[in-house]
Amino acid sequence: MASIAGKTDEQLIVEKHIANFHRGFAYWPRAEEAPPALGDSRWTQDLILATWLMAETGKPPDNGLEYKIGASGGGFDVLDFNIPSEDKWLPADTEIDLSIPLNRRDDGAQLKIDLPMYGGGMSYGSISEHVMQARARAAQQLGTFTSTGEGGYPPSLVPYKDHIITQVATGMFGVREETIQYAPIVEFKYAQGAKPGLGGHLLGDKATDVVAAMRESVPWVSLFSPFPFHSVYSVEDHRKHVDWIRTTNPRALVSVKVSTPTDVDMVAVGSYFAGAHIVHLDGSYGGTGAAPEIAKKNIAMPIEFAIPKVHKYLVSENVREEVTLMASGGVRTAYDVAKAIALGADGCVMGTAELIAIGCTRCSNCERGRGCPFGLTTTDPLLQQLMPADWGQQRIVNMYTAYAAQLRDLLRKLGLHSIRELRGRRDLLKYVG
Amino acid sequence: MTHVPTGSPSSGYHRYHIPTKPAPDIEKWPSRFKVKVRRTGLAKLLLSEIVHYRGRKDVILSRPCMYGVFSGPVGGFMPREEHCVGCLRCTTEFPEFVRIEHNPERQKLGDSYFTFNYVDQIAYEASSGLVPVRGAGYRGKFGGEGWDGMWTDMSEIVRPTRDGIHGRETISTVVDIGYTPNFLQFDAAGQPVGNTPHYLSIQLPILFDGGDLPRDGHIARMYACAAAELDTLAVLPFEQALGLGQYAHAIVPVVRAEHAQQLGQLGFTPRMVEMHGWDDGLYAAIIAAFPQAIIALRTGFGDAPALVGYAQRGVKVFHLVADYHGRSADGRFVLDLIRDAHKAFVDAGIREEVTLLGSGGMIAAEHMPKAMICGLDAVAVDTPPLVALQARFEGECASRTASRFSLPAGLNEAWGVQRLKNLAASWRDQLLEILGAMGLREVRRLRGEMGRAMFMKTLEADAFAGLLGYSEAANG
Repeated sequence: MASIAGKTDEQLIVEKHIANFHRGFAYWPRAEEAPPALGDSRWTQDLILATWLMAETGKPPDNGLEYKIGASGGGFDVLDFNIPSEDKWLPADTEIDLSIPLNRRDDGAQLKIDLPMYGGGMSYGSISEHVMQARARAAQQLGTFTSTGEGGYPPSLVPYKDHIITQVATGMFGVREETIQYAPIVEFKYAQGAKPGLGGHLLGDKATDVVAAMRESVPWVSLFSPFPFHSVYSVEDHRKHVDWIRTTNPRALVSVKVSTPTDVDMVAVGSYFAGAHIVHLDGSYGGTGAAPEIAKKNIAMPIEFAIPKVHKYLVSENVREEVTLMASGGVRTAYDVAKAIALGADGCVMGTAELIAIGCTRCSNCERGRGCPFGLTTTDPLLQQLMPADWGQQRIVNMYTAYAAQLRDLLRKLGLHSIRELRGRRDLLKYVG
Repeated sequence: MTHVPTGSPSSGYHRYHIPTKPAPDIEKWPSRFKVKVRRTGLAKLLLSEIVHYRGRKDVILSRPCMYGVFSGPVGGFMPREEHCVGCLRCTTEFPEFVRIEHNPERQKLGDSYFTFNYVDQIAYEASSGLVPVRGAGYRGKFGGEGWDGMWTDMSEIVRPTRDGIHGRETISTVVDIGYTPNFLQFDAAGQPVGNTPHYLSIQLPILFDGGDLPRDGHIARMYACAAAELDTLAVLPFEQALGLGQYAHAIVPVVRAEHAQQLGQLGFTPRMVEMHGWDDGLYAAIIAAFPQAIIALRTGFGDAPALVGYAQRGVKVFHLVADYHGRSADGRFVLDLIRDAHKAFVDAGIREEVTLLGSGGMIAAEHMPKAMICGLDAVAVDTPPLVALQARFEGECASRTASRFSLPAGLNEAWGVQRLKNLAASWRDQLLEILGAMGLREVRRLRGEMGRAMFMKTLEADAFAGLLGYSEAANG
């Protein structure tokens, strides 16, 4: 236990609980038995504990935890790689390149990321400023990006602005000229997969004074980003939005985040023709701070089905090499990332996995103002101190380091030198359902 | 027949609204979690903290739970597990002596089809009237059989109202029950001739189906009262409809052949009557007794072509009934049964002339739009209102005749009616979420819109066909 000299009660309370958390996060992945009430079909006990272990060590688990698949009985969980015999593997010391370009067009900055992953949008208010800082610092360290979500751009993030995507959604909460000018990538959010077609929603008791100030709104009232953009009814309308961003920040790449209706392939190609550099598909099984239960399973298709549909259509339209396709919404592991890429994505956008790395147990209480007892999805002044940004940064970096090791190992076994070679290689997958 | 909404002046505009208010459970459900604390471990911790923090009470008493599980008079020595939400913070901080488990008593609620998760959901909806909202994304299985193997569509750019369910513009959930001809015919004077529309409108695509209700007059009265206030219909056995004349416009009596001579005893003229199985004599008796009433045939889903035959004999409303688990006599699931029935009428070219109501196996809000996409005009819910009234299943409850439910002691009418209204409000708002996502302004457009459905088997075949190990025959 830490010294108590000269410390306030609040400091001691925070220190006490942080110390206990860290002990628990280290204890459980190594315990003989998992916490009985932990986990669900998608994020099993093993997946959560394995993520905690990777976040601690930076390495894949070696103690028998199942860290590759969940128990959902479909999608990524019924796919595996068809690994050739060992004599076809690349030598262990082969350099494997995990980087991907984000701009495949001949306009704008030629950005690339060192991992085929970046962090998804989580708004200030839905998560704490500490969590935003941890994610931004980790993105900087890893040579990738994270996204503000739609909820403002806390000044503490400005030092990491070259690694932060600014999101623009219909509420325009906290979107200002300078936040667009900061951004190397501006993301238009048309829909989010966890609640497709419903818009963003921050419940009233999460709209605290500081959140309301950031969003230029009123405290303690629910805030909606109504779906969809009501000024957009065509590709041409969308093109005008893109032009607006490009006028404000000519060097920014444009990403368009859409969910996965039947005609997602048409939407993707429309986004391309409107000028998008990145089409970000968000499937229906991902996480969000608050979503009507009815939306989670029942609206729009899972990402596993949307990726090949869009990939094939972009190929048939002869524009596949002109656009980067990122996938999210239920992508949990390094193996999910690899499967998504083999199905046709260029890379993945991660959300829930990062939160689990920093202590989320997926208890599903994050819609409440003080619902997150680990200080992640809250701006409560006391609770948010429970997740220090430097600790969170290291945990996220460690998790991605473990993911990178798994991806390199997998690619080597598949005989591929680069993650870019994996894109659309359905022949390397097998169905094990 | 034009219907004027309850309570509204015939000349005025009436904005449909369901007034909700909290109606907490009257019988305690088992808690969601069991909280087990090893008291010696807790005592040792307390002692060590008292020493270390030198009596700084706020620090010593700061415990991991934010939900009050450990904040009773003796703290963690007697945890109040009814407050536990399963966040697992306590077991994360103190893995040595705190253990959180799912409560097996809670998991026994319901039966193998109406599982405890559905019971939980209904209980929340009926007690609050709200749309269940939670964080952390989807936690369940990827897909599955029946309803779980189906997704609804959405539109990336079109939404029917600027601010959807929360705003100023409306999405209509009105449905019409009865007969509408495919086209009108007029005589030389411009007056309609031949068959003219004969239907009633209700504000919700939800009816309360008490046609197989346990013989408890309390429940029938609650169904009738709630239906009247909601401007929908309660389907009740003939015997239980007697004496409920004050709710006449909301009651649909189910009559059997033996009631043919007793119809006059009803004491009111119902807007709709359900005939329990086809019977020539009964059909004639109903027409004679209630010439203005819409006559529905209550029958199994089974034989779709036979339904078309009944339509040709004059029946225009069909209330198709599966068992409580959504199965027909031959074991087929209601989702497929609805599609078959709908298609039979489409193939016969008379789908627009008839109304299809359905019961059985539709136990969650999401099942309602899915059933309508498959072809129903409206859903007649059976077991969900019972669960809203905190009925408990006694064993497996699949059979409409043999199932047994026990009702809570202290059931009172005002509470029950509010619970049913809350349930209807919550389901309606969830329906609006689905319609809003699709960009539909009215629920009538949802009926049979199979283009708005996505099925797991089809999607999986599109995505995974050709992969090593994938067999379309096995999976599709």
